[in-house]
Amino acid sequence: MRVLTAVATVALLAALAGSSTAPYLAAQERPLVIALGAEPRSLLAQHIVDWTTNVQQLNIYDRLYYWDGMPPRIRPSLAAELPQTPDDLTWIIKLRPNVRFSNGDPFTAEAVKSTIEWLLDPRNQSHYRPRFSFVESVEATDPLTVRIKTREPAPILRYYLVDFAVHNPGYIRQVGNDAANRNPVGAGPYKFVRWDRDERLVLEANPTYWNRPPAVRRVEFRFIPDFSARLAALLAGEADIVKDVPPVAVDQVNRSGHAEVRSVASSRINYLALVNFRPGPLQDRRVRQAMNYAVNVDEIIASLFKGRATRIPGALSSINEDVNPNLKPYPYNPERAVQLIREAGFDPARLEFTIDSPSGRYPLDKEAAEAIAAYLGRIGIRARVQVNEWGTHLDKIINRRTGEMFYLGWGPALEAQGTIAELFRPERTYSGFGTPALSQEINKAIPIVDRQKRRAAWYRIQVMLYTEAPWVFLWQQHDLYGVNKRVTWAPHPAEKIFVHDAAWVR
Amino acid sequence: MLQFVARRLIQAAVVVALALSAVFALQFLAGDPVKLFLPTDTTPKQIEEFRERLGLNDPWLVQYARFMRGALRGDFGRSLRQNEPALGLVLERFPATLSLSGVAMLVALAVAIPVGVLSAARRNSWFDHLGIGATVVGQAVPGFWLGLMLIYVFAVWLRWLPTSGRGTWLHYVMPSITLAAFVAARFARLTRSMMLDVLGQDYIRTARAKGLAPRRVLYRHAFKNASLPIVTLLALQLGQLLGGAVITETIFAWPGVGRLLVQALLNRDFPVVLVGVFLTAVLYSLLNLTADLAYAWLNPRIRYE
Amino acid sequence: MSQAAVPPYAATLVEAPRPRRRLPLSRSGAAGLTLVALVVTVAVLAPLITPYGPAETDLARSLRPPSRAHPMGTDQLGRDLLTRIVYGARVSLAIGLVTVGVSGAIGLVVGLIAGYLGGAADAVLMRVVDVWLAFPFILLALTVNAILGIGLQNIILTLIITGWVVYARLVRGEVLALRALEYVEAARALGAREGRIIARHLLPNLWTPVIILSSLQVAQFIVAEAAISFLGFGVQPPMASWGNMLNEGKTYIYNAWWMTTFPGVALVLTALGVNLVGDWLRDTLDPRLTT
Repeated sequence: MRVLTAVATVALLAALAGSSTAPYLAAQERPLVIALGAEPRSLLAQHIVDWTTNVQQLNIYDRLYYWDGMPPRIRPSLAAELPQTPDDLTWIIKLRPNVRFSNGDPFTAEAVKSTIEWLLDPRNQSHYRPRFSFVESVEATDPLTVRIKTREPAPILRYYLVDFAVHNPGYIRQVGNDAANRNPVGAGPYKFVRWDRDERLVLEANPTYWNRPPAVRRVEFRFIPDFSARLAALLAGEADIVKDVPPVAVDQVNRSGHAEVRSVASSRINYLALVNFRPGPLQDRRVRQAMNYAVNVDEIIASLFKGRATRIPGALSSINEDVNPNLKPYPYNPERAVQLIREAGFDPARLEFTIDSPSGRYPLDKEAAEAIAAYLGRIGIRARVQVNEWGTHLDKIINRRTGEMFYLGWGPALEAQGTIAELFRPERTYSGFGTPALSQEINKAIPIVDRQKRRAAWYRIQVMLYTEAPWVFLWQQHDLYGVNKRVTWAPHPAEKIFVHDAAWVR
Repeated sequence: MLQFVARRLIQAAVVVALALSAVFALQFLAGDPVKLFLPTDTTPKQIEEFRERLGLNDPWLVQYARFMRGALRGDFGRSLRQNEPALGLVLERFPATLSLSGVAMLVALAVAIPVGVLSAARRNSWFDHLGIGATVVGQAVPGFWLGLMLIYVFAVWLRWLPTSGRGTWLHYVMPSITLAAFVAARFARLTRSMMLDVLGQDYIRTARAKGLAPRRVLYRHAFKNASLPIVTLLALQLGQLLGGAVITETIFAWPGVGRLLVQALLNRDFPVVLVGVFLTAVLYSLLNLTADLAYAWLNPRIRYE
Repeated sequence: MSQAAVPPYAATLVEAPRPRRRLPLSRSGAAGLTLVALVVTVAVLAPLITPYGPAETDLARSLRPPSRAHPMGTDQLGRDLLTRIVYGARVSLAIGLVTVGVSGAIGLVVGLIAGYLGGAADAVLMRVVDVWLAFPFILLALTVNAILGIGLQNIILTLIITGWVVYARLVRGEVLALRALEYVEAARALGAREGRIIARHLLPNLWTPVIILSSLQVAQFIVAEAAISFLGFGVQPPMASWGNMLNEGKTYIYNAWWMTTFPGVALVLTALGVNLVGDWLRDTLDPRLTT
């Protein structure tokens, strides 16, 4: 009897619910809901390097420069124009006039100077400090001009200023880091309303924004860790933008009637590193090349990814500014693979490899690793997939304790240094690979200021990488966003969600 | 009585201190947290600076002493990952966890106790088989599967309930059912076997023989006497739910403690893990104590000296 | 269903050292035994049941719905699901039996010591038990796996580490009760050696509650594997376990229903079978037992 009462109560509750959660009423008034996997790790600008954190912050802070259009170009936002470099060590940044923070304070050169000094101060534990370690001094030469001096030529600074968020120095000084983190003040299109931990971040249009007022008045980032639940939120009309729809669910989203998948080839790449740090067959270039011949990457993309990935022939994505267009992917040729392995003096049937892979970090990562292992199996190699929890995976890579191969993704990266130098310089372990010749070439390329010469240097290095075959070159991910059809917004390879770009369809 | 409470509180303090020490020791086995949360372009020298600043280069005994001194003052250090005071991060999530655990427990008891009592009263009837069978299935269904199916049916398909998150009482329906499904089975079975035991006793026969209404006998006499172990299990299960409802909290995006702790653990954010262990251990001990006191209240024959 | 229909596996399950009475087989008990026997048979005969290998991938036939060639469909790598479920039965049984065996043995010893010796030993051991119970199970499981890495052995280890406490508490309670019984007191008064008292008077009376608890724990552990898999700590590929299959299927839950449904059903039926056996054992052997 009581059970029946309970069941009846639940049914009644459910029925009542039906009347109060009609999601499409008054679409104009309700907030635009963006479902993300996690809350920001900080709301202080230039504090923590983390996609989820940055994608939310930039709506509050805006940025000096941003990537725009296809192919991506750097454009000024809080800056007034592209930086000038009167000499190899000096950078002049002109700022946009008449910009105010959301609390009314003026946005000036002093703010940029103060932000750089803040992130360089070790007490603030900013992740950005290493990137700006070449900065010698920052000066506000007038209220709208910043002059940065570097110790050595650092052309990469041009890219580090992209998506650079700026603090309100007076505010931070007044309330301190912790309070500013809980109630941030920026110069972006939205101002902070509320942050319910692990639940939602609510923003509303900033009336003092320098650009046209945002078409979407209220934004809500909701934190839904499980992506099946995120997908459900989209299908139920509770979320308007959701990242990383699985390729198999594309049809379902498109059939739902009110949402659709909008995709873009991301600048994030996935690769299978062939570790050459330890003695073994993979120290022989021919064996590494053989791995590239042995794996049918195209079939993995077609079957597993339903075509939602773009194959890359080298270490850079096809939309990277510096990508060498002359490289062609290794063809699938298992006979050639066997032949190369034998030339190197090995018997495929006696090779045994362990592939370390994360699970769920990148689209279909574990599945791809298993498919790769199966292809290696076809030429007789015994390949075993070792799945790691993400923390363990990173720890193994950093401390060189992985198996002979490991699976990793990298990006977003729209120029060469951020990928090649970050991954292949000798103290780095994320590529699983390094040779003295390669390091030398990379170190020569980093300080080249002249754009043409710089690009030529990166082209040469890419050819080197292609023949060295440090990885099985796989693909650049496609970012699949599920988007409410009543929202105009298009994804960009730089992986940002700048809500100022979005609007409700009327 | 007071003496009993005092002794139990001291025992609880020992348990909490031991639990903290155990986790503190474990963190040295779990890999260097610093490299994991710094970006990849951090140079080894800068990593060292970070370690130094966080006091991770000190001998473990020094770190342990510092931690315990801080813990006594309620200072558990800052989250490595979010660079905020760790205690605050965890405390902020407690209301969400407490309310969901409470509701789920009520739902579970509301279903399990009648099922258990009636199953025992009509042993081997169809109701017995069905009721116990249903609770067994409820326990065997993996929580995430049940959760995702509920979401699909009630939120995506029928649109009766919100898919996830917190806010209105409607948000409680699916997560509490998911949690309760698992817990209810244990209560139903426990109730049933306790009732079977009690119903065989002489005083129940006497009560029946005196012609008391069967319902009254069942609930007033039998159930009250069968309820002691249920109270113990309640304390135990509630303790587990407080930190352990991770899967439900993840599926339903519930901003609870379990989800935070698992994330902290996966990110090797040990200050947060330690706070979580501290609070769950304290709560567990208090719940147990409460259960023991409830025992005395339910059964006046029990006296604690 | 008559008793003759009960398969031979049942014997090993119900064989208590000194059954004091015959076990009358209830209807639900018979159903439980049948289910358990079915799972055991399937696990043993796995290679005979299906023509495929559990790790046999073929991307060309990935995510196929159930068909004649693949009665339960295929997964994202084109592996036959029926095959994986059949082999997964081995993993689940291994998890259930090994964890219960080892954690039961540990718990039995600890519970005996605590209950029989009492005093300081009891106080210390029970505090240890409290520390254990103060940890949410999931946290403990994740900690072990984060330190030791992912894999079947570590899942089993985790479950053993978390599982022994229940036994220790149960056994201690039983021992305390037994010790107060007249015949045990008498044996002690007569100067019987401790070892003899434990072996002759305590252990035989402990088997029943321990076996009953075990039958319930087996189901718990098999389900716990799914929970651990959900959090990303499942068995290593290409090994098939029901928990891992469920977790992989989660990605496709709204698109390839067969990937979660069949392993889910296998899991539920097994847990149900084991639970029914446990209930039946309890009802017949010791209706008083309250775990």
